[in-house]
Amino acid sequence: MHLTPEDFSAIALSIKIAITATVISLPVGFATAWLMVFSHFRGKVLLEVLINLPLTLPPVVIGYFLLLMLGRNGWIGVFLKSFGIELVFTWKAAVVASAAVGFPLLVRSIRLGMESIDHQLLQASRSLGAPWYDTLATVILPLSLRGMLAGSSLMFARSLGEFGATIIVAGNIPGLTQTIPLAIYDYASSPTGTAMALSLCIVSVALSVSVLFLHEVIGKQLEHGGKA
Amino acid sequence: MKLCIDIEKRQGDFSLALNTEFSGERVGLFGASGSGKSTLVHLIAGLIKPDAGEIYLDDTCLFSSRNRIDLSPEKRRIALVFQQATLFPHLGVKSNLLYGYKRCRPAERRIKPEAIIEVLNLGHLVGRGVGKLSGGEKQRVALGRAVLANPRLLVMDEPLSALDDSLRYQIIPYLRSVSAEFGIPCLFISHSLIEMQLMTERVLVVRDGRLASISTPDELARTGMATNPRGYLNLLRLDGATQKDGLFLYPWGESDLIISEGRIGEESLFELSSRDIILFKSHPEAISARNLLECRVAELFDSDGRKGIVLESGGKTLVAEIVRPAAEELGIATGATVFAAIKASAFRRLG
Amino acid sequence: MKTMKHFLRSIAAVLTLLVLTSVPALAGQVSISVAASLKDALNEIVGVYAKSHPGATFQKNYAASGALAGQIEQGAPADLFISANVKWMNYLKEKNLVDAPSIRTFAFNDLVFAGATSQKIKSMNDLTRLGKIGIGSPKSVPAGEYAMQAIVKSGLEQALAGKLIMAKDVRESLMYAELGEVDGSVVYRTDALMAKKARILFTVPATLYPEVVYPVALTVAGAKNADAKSFHAWLKGKEATAILKKYGFTVK
Repeated sequence: MHLTPEDFSAIALSIKIAITATVISLPVGFATAWLMVFSHFRGKVLLEVLINLPLTLPPVVIGYFLLLMLGRNGWIGVFLKSFGIELVFTWKAAVVASAAVGFPLLVRSIRLGMESIDHQLLQASRSLGAPWYDTLATVILPLSLRGMLAGSSLMFARSLGEFGATIIVAGNIPGLTQTIPLAIYDYASSPTGTAMALSLCIVSVALSVSVLFLHEVIGKQLEHGGKA
Repeated sequence: MKLCIDIEKRQGDFSLALNTEFSGERVGLFGASGSGKSTLVHLIAGLIKPDAGEIYLDDTCLFSSRNRIDLSPEKRRIALVFQQATLFPHLGVKSNLLYGYKRCRPAERRIKPEAIIEVLNLGHLVGRGVGKLSGGEKQRVALGRAVLANPRLLVMDEPLSALDDSLRYQIIPYLRSVSAEFGIPCLFISHSLIEMQLMTERVLVVRDGRLASISTPDELARTGMATNPRGYLNLLRLDGATQKDGLFLYPWGESDLIISEGRIGEESLFELSSRDIILFKSHPEAISARNLLECRVAELFDSDGRKGIVLESGGKTLVAEIVRPAAEELGIATGATVFAAIKASAFRRLG
Repeated sequence: MKTMKHFLRSIAAVLTLLVLTSVPALAGQVSISVAASLKDALNEIVGVYAKSHPGATFQKNYAASGALAGQIEQGAPADLFISANVKWMNYLKEKNLVDAPSIRTFAFNDLVFAGATSQKIKSMNDLTRLGKIGIGSPKSVPAGEYAMQAIVKSGLEQALAGKLIMAKDVRESLMYAELGEVDGSVVYRTDALMAKKARILFTVPATLYPEVVYPVALTVAGAKNADAKSFHAWLKGKEATAILKKYGFTVK
């Protein structure tokens, strides 16, 4: 097991990107799940398809779309540029890529949590004098915590493994945008890099296993807490 | 409370259309499941929106399609108690109780938490989580939570049907005392006639989404006497029992009732079917039934080929039931004197 | 413990046998492993060859040279290997996986700087005026390695730090230049010729990086395949050379 300073920066960057992507997506994911579960509107099916699209689309396609949209000539890229923000080929682009790919997993978990909330609890809350936003904050939010945690850990784990979209929209720049999977890709492209690649693979497996383990433990604890 | 309802609502194949106006402090909504009771409750509470019409509670307009008024549920101040206690699982007993109270304007906080905790006997539960409460305890907390919201109207949607028999009659006194002691008007929904008799003074009967009739629980029990497998159920609230030869003696009017299953030192509720009362024209010499009461026929009523007889004895009344030929044989008419024999085991203690 | 090792070894042997026998070397079939940058040229070469040699069929495997070398090392079926650098050819030679006498130079390539920028960029030093420069990832892409060497040799390493956008291969690097996401990319001349928007702005001086050589060799298995041998010989001929030149390669 041998890791170079570049490998360490890849590990740190991976974690930083995964955390940022998850934290940013959480409120949006919660709002989206809430919209899907508790409100009725036209085009809901369309939104549903749109949200789940990254789940089935090849990440490369997502990366390419993001590059076209966020790039110098893309309409979002141009808009952001007017505020002096450039995303493409920075770690922020990797965050966007991870967020796009992991978002459906997050929403799915939060939705599952929300769908299990007894509707009568919401009716009780409303009839006891709580406006809808109050019910959202004091009943739906606390009862969705488990789904949010489950979704976050899943999304975090998915972000750690993001490759296809990231390598297109963020490039493969050591120290700047090179995450663990990208570094492994670099090593794996040559037979002499096998040992280095394997070291990073072990790190990758260890990270994923511990996150998923945490995911299970937290889930169990919350389940316990919910019953007490 | 005065409620004016004139609404229409379509839900798939089911349609609800009601146009009525009623007042009273304890009003029942009676009907079989699927008759539209719960839909009506949701409409009144603002949880679903009528297709058209108007709802007024006292002088407040809750909904009016004509005036484009649709008060949101939290502004209607109509508290709900459901079949399931639906306590917030992430909050403790205390936070559950205070959920509505905290959201109530201070000026409207007429009922204080301490008072409700005492009346509902919740003192020992306040520090606990809601997960470990029994079904009856949960329903009491839910009731307390609803009352503490200081609502204008308390709607109880089958609050007892998820509880077993013994618990059900333990809760009823709480439900009654809440509306009596705190003066909150109640709308009580149930498909149980006994609950209606115990809880309400007026009853709206709903059938297939339409209002079938407005009557009193007693009238309802009388009309249903012939079709109900157990006839008319006399409900007796008795206290001050003494024990003799393994039986319980309860003072009732000017005489005693002898009952096989009783309780010393606490008030009990008994039910007695109209079919368990045997009538004699004259005093029988010796019978096995422990109770023999000399009664005056106060009133007669018909129910589908059967005769209901309201018996009066020492200021108390009971309803007995006989078939018409028997009535003719006995020559029963208002004012006549008859003897009523009731077995000690015919009284069923409810709680 | 020892018996366990023996057991595992025999299982591995059986599995290898199964894999090898499941891909039978058909008569007249030639498996070629070729560096990705040669893809278009080689497709045409193989097409022309097949016309004059109706009996021969080809199984073509295009990937990064290092990856191909790794595959051959792991026992992937290959009769002919064309690498984008000498390094991976030597790697296989040391392991006695290629037929040493058959190794020879197939073609040469140049590095150019191509981009769609409107700025006047004529030399390595001009690169400092640009914002973003695309190169292949030096660790896994030979063209990226050469580009990095050229940058270091020009003394521009510090000046260009933070401007270099590393892509997973030369084509991706060129795609960035085409979309204008980078001002320009250091790519092979052969790749740059295929671009639509990006123009070749200057040729990277040959003194700044090692010669880009494409060596070709028969593998040990290929040395026993008559069709592979005849194809290997044919590659030296005029027809193949003409096609290589058409695609921008140099043949000396």
